[in-house]
Amino acid sequence: MTKNKSLLWRALAVLFCISLIAASCGDDDDDSGTTQQPATTTAAAATDDEPAADTTTTAAADVIENTQDGDLLATVMERGKLHCGVSGAAVAFSETQPDGTQTGFDADYCRAVAAAIFGDADAVEYVPLTAAERFTAVQTGAVDVLMRNTTWTQGRDTEVGMDFGPTTYYDGQQLMARVSDDFSNSSQISDIDGAVVCTNAGTTTEQNIADAAEEAGVSITLNTFEDFDIVTTNFVQGACDIVTTDGSALVGRKANQEPDDQEWVIFPPTPISKEPLGPTYGQNQSRFADVVNWTVYATVIADEKGVNSSNVDAMAANPPDAEVGRLLGGEGELQSAMGLAPDAFWQVIKQVGNYDEIYSRNLNPVGLTREGSANAGWLDGGLIYAPPAR
Amino acid sequence: MADTRAAAETAERGGAEDAQAVEALPPEQPGLPPSEWIRKNLFSSPFNSVLTVAFGLLALLIVRGLLNFTFSEERNWDAVRTNLRLIFTHAYPEEQYSRIWVCVGTIAVLAGLSVGLAAAETARRGVSVRKLSSSLVAMGATVALGVVLREPSALTDIEGRVRRDDSGIMRESFAEAMTDRWAWWLAAAVLASAGAALWFGFGDERRRETYVRPVELFMVGSAVLVLSGWIYPWGHYAFADGEFIAEPGRTVAMSTKLPWTVIWLLLAAAIAAGRSMRRAGAGPNFTLALNLCWLACPFVLYWVVLRDPDLDWGRVLSVDIPLGVLFAALGGAVLWLLTDQRIGELGRIIATLLMGVAVLNWVAGFFGWYPMLQKVRLSFLLVALAALVAHNFAGERSKRLRLLAVWVALMAVFHYMATLMNSPSTVETPTEALIGGFSVTLIVASFTLLFSFPLGVMLALARTSRLPIFRVMSTSFIEVVRGVPLITILLFFAVMLQLFLPDGMSISLIAAATLGYTLFSAAYLAENVRGGLQSIRRGQYEASDAVGLTAMQRTLFIVLPQALRVSIPPLVGQVIATFKETSLLAVIGAFDLLRMANNVIPSQTQFLGVKREGLLFVCLVYWVFAYAMSKHSQRLEKRLGVGER
Repeated sequence: MTKNKSLLWRALAVLFCISLIAASCGDDDDDSGTTQQPATTTAAAATDDEPAADTTTTAAADVIENTQDGDLLATVMERGKLHCGVSGAAVAFSETQPDGTQTGFDADYCRAVAAAIFGDADAVEYVPLTAAERFTAVQTGAVDVLMRNTTWTQGRDTEVGMDFGPTTYYDGQQLMARVSDDFSNSSQISDIDGAVVCTNAGTTTEQNIADAAEEAGVSITLNTFEDFDIVTTNFVQGACDIVTTDGSALVGRKANQEPDDQEWVIFPPTPISKEPLGPTYGQNQSRFADVVNWTVYATVIADEKGVNSSNVDAMAANPPDAEVGRLLGGEGELQSAMGLAPDAFWQVIKQVGNYDEIYSRNLNPVGLTREGSANAGWLDGGLIYAPPAR
Repeated sequence: MADTRAAAETAERGGAEDAQAVEALPPEQPGLPPSEWIRKNLFSSPFNSVLTVAFGLLALLIVRGLLNFTFSEERNWDAVRTNLRLIFTHAYPEEQYSRIWVCVGTIAVLAGLSVGLAAAETARRGVSVRKLSSSLVAMGATVALGVVLREPSALTDIEGRVRRDDSGIMRESFAEAMTDRWAWWLAAAVLASAGAALWFGFGDERRRETYVRPVELFMVGSAVLVLSGWIYPWGHYAFADGEFIAEPGRTVAMSTKLPWTVIWLLLAAAIAAGRSMRRAGAGPNFTLALNLCWLACPFVLYWVVLRDPDLDWGRVLSVDIPLGVLFAALGGAVLWLLTDQRIGELGRIIATLLMGVAVLNWVAGFFGWYPMLQKVRLSFLLVALAALVAHNFAGERSKRLRLLAVWVALMAVFHYMATLMNSPSTVETPTEALIGGFSVTLIVASFTLLFSFPLGVMLALARTSRLPIFRVMSTSFIEVVRGVPLITILLFFAVMLQLFLPDGMSISLIAAATLGYTLFSAAYLAENVRGGLQSIRRGQYEASDAVGLTAMQRTLFIVLPQALRVSIPPLVGQVIATFKETSLLAVIGAFDLLRMANNVIPSQTQFLGVKREGLLFVCLVYWVFAYAMSKHSQRLEKRLGVGER
């Protein structure tokens, strides 16, 4: 029995030692860059000293608050890379190329934001996300900003807890049909009576076309398929009279998949829904939001003033007007006040380009042009507009 | 029976040549002449004749449809050829590609050694030259039939578009089509004449007596493929610096053919090395070492080779190594104490207490109560776990020392792996994931199997345990997991797991998915193993009790070997199912093989909407691997004599 007792004591001593060692180690090598005081922590854990334990807890809580609700811009800058949520499989917006690189309109805006923050457009880590997980990814901090074809809606802005930047692309749902079925560019919803309309399941497009048809007083047969590739196949083979989705996608399909023996048209001229697409980020991060928003505005202003990646050096050295000078960091401290380098937007234009360059590079190849659309500049009758940089 | 087998083994170890062992096999029985065989098997009765003709026609129609689909001018196979790198490794950087080849080479060497060492067992089940030559002739005939069956190619204009007239697609005439396909005719002729040469080259007696091993066939087949990379103009398709490259007339790129040639040579060398080792009598010991290598292979290849961790040596020397040594020493002390025979029941109480403290300490991590390295919390849990089983090793000094040695090794491996996993990778990819495509399919499948197998066996044992607590816990786990669809579990792990983790700990999508697959697969494996456990008769238990084995010895050496042997067919079925189920990764947003073909390639501007080609290719890849696994399991069953008892 006495033998057992001494064994017990030895065991307890070992146990005590282990807890001592265990407690004496500082925080893990994870993101919080603060260092704990090993000595105090040991004391707190080993002696169960109440006040000391309290202090440790508060300190830990502070650390958490700093990293989670702290300034996102500071966190991103410290990390040195922008985590940018993209689709990874959206034609012309974010495509994964055969060597794994990301290209497209959305990907370019990721690069623009990285150029503004770090002066290096390549300091981006793309996080490909599905539609289902994109908002969770923002909420858990897996991505800093979503450049992912996300439509700005009231529900997402308020209920879901997202904030939206300026719209970079005004999209809208349209229909596509064959000329041989007596459709033309100017056809209206009222002309589709009795047609078989196909779209992909689980999106708002389904609801939009049903609403539009009801409003126009026409009856349609609505067929939905798992994804738009299957919809297109059915359209090519004649199983569908009309397909409908966002106009940008329809133009791409028409440019690439129209068979030689068919002619397709996209109508009505005014889309049946509004789909403003732009950057999306978590709520209450105004410093970070300012950077994203003004990066977008900078590309728009540069487009308006005729500043592009090839003439930006000349423009910066010899600004045509005061606004360009301020934008490219010549005078004033506008960029510095945002927490960026004075030449932040010069880097954006130099490395990525202005709005028109980004648009043409990515969207012209699939047949989308700015002229006459909502994506023309405000001086040309479009909606692309930026507040003044002053 | 046992005596003769043992004698045969000693004879073989005595240096008998493989060829002699093969020639000692009984000659294959002569078959019926072809006309007789057809009459007897295909047209034995009027009804059977009708069935044969009807289903033969159906089969021909299906094959014709598949051929027309595959070789149609409307197929854009460039989409697959250009995207091969994306399909297999996603965004893994090209300048680091040698790491991929190191992985493939390592697996080839291990596989070669295993095959070489197991050659004695497979020698009995080769293919006779007679069968081989008739198969070759049949393959030639099939190719020729396919050439005739396929509809004439469509005519294309200069830009490669299919020409049409009022009646539809314009096609060349049948005669033109047949002459255009001279390369296929040549292939058919080569196959058939190779078969004929084998047939007539060997006499009737010898072609029935001479056996060729499957591995030799495989090596010849793969050699033909690798050689064709140097000779045949497969074409060079790539994407470099933002430009698509398509050069149809060239042989494949040097960065493809050279590594594969080297790997073929490595494989051949490894097989030869394995065989000579077996002949030298190094069999059993070496097999054990090899199996340990296989076990370590996924960890080492993924965390060391593919990720190339950037170790912070200052930290390793000041924190990681002392921590590992400390836990090894302290845990060792605890275990030494608990394996003391005098401690008795008190030991178990201490172990349980230790477990309680460790679990509390782990739970504290979730609330961030006091900061501590996750590694420390985990090591502490491991100490407690080892303490719980310590009483099984109580007694002799050598037994206790063995437990201590296992413990020290465990700590070393655990701390090494934890350090590797927490170190940042030097391999930089544009996207968040290190690797994707088929590699991620393989990684998830192999880690799932590695983790779920022991878990499944433990669950099965727990479910048949006499202790109600184990039985209830295991049964409820199995029934809950089996009652929930896999995709639900995966979505739960992909989306929700992050919210359940302690502060400052994050888990990647792939790791979360692997965890989900592991739990799911373990529940099914457990049921398969339980079926095996139930097939063991009471006499086995009683006999092992009678010779004085402990419960653990009985389970490890008597029950499990028999139970696992019986459950091989369902286990392999489960393994194949798990491999194929990895395609569900596409649904939770991981860039696996299926997602590449289904979403990523069709959304490249260059290949917009080109989906069917990629999907067909993905089917082929899955089929090749699943079929190989199923073949291997058939051999395993035969070797262990499942179903012959």
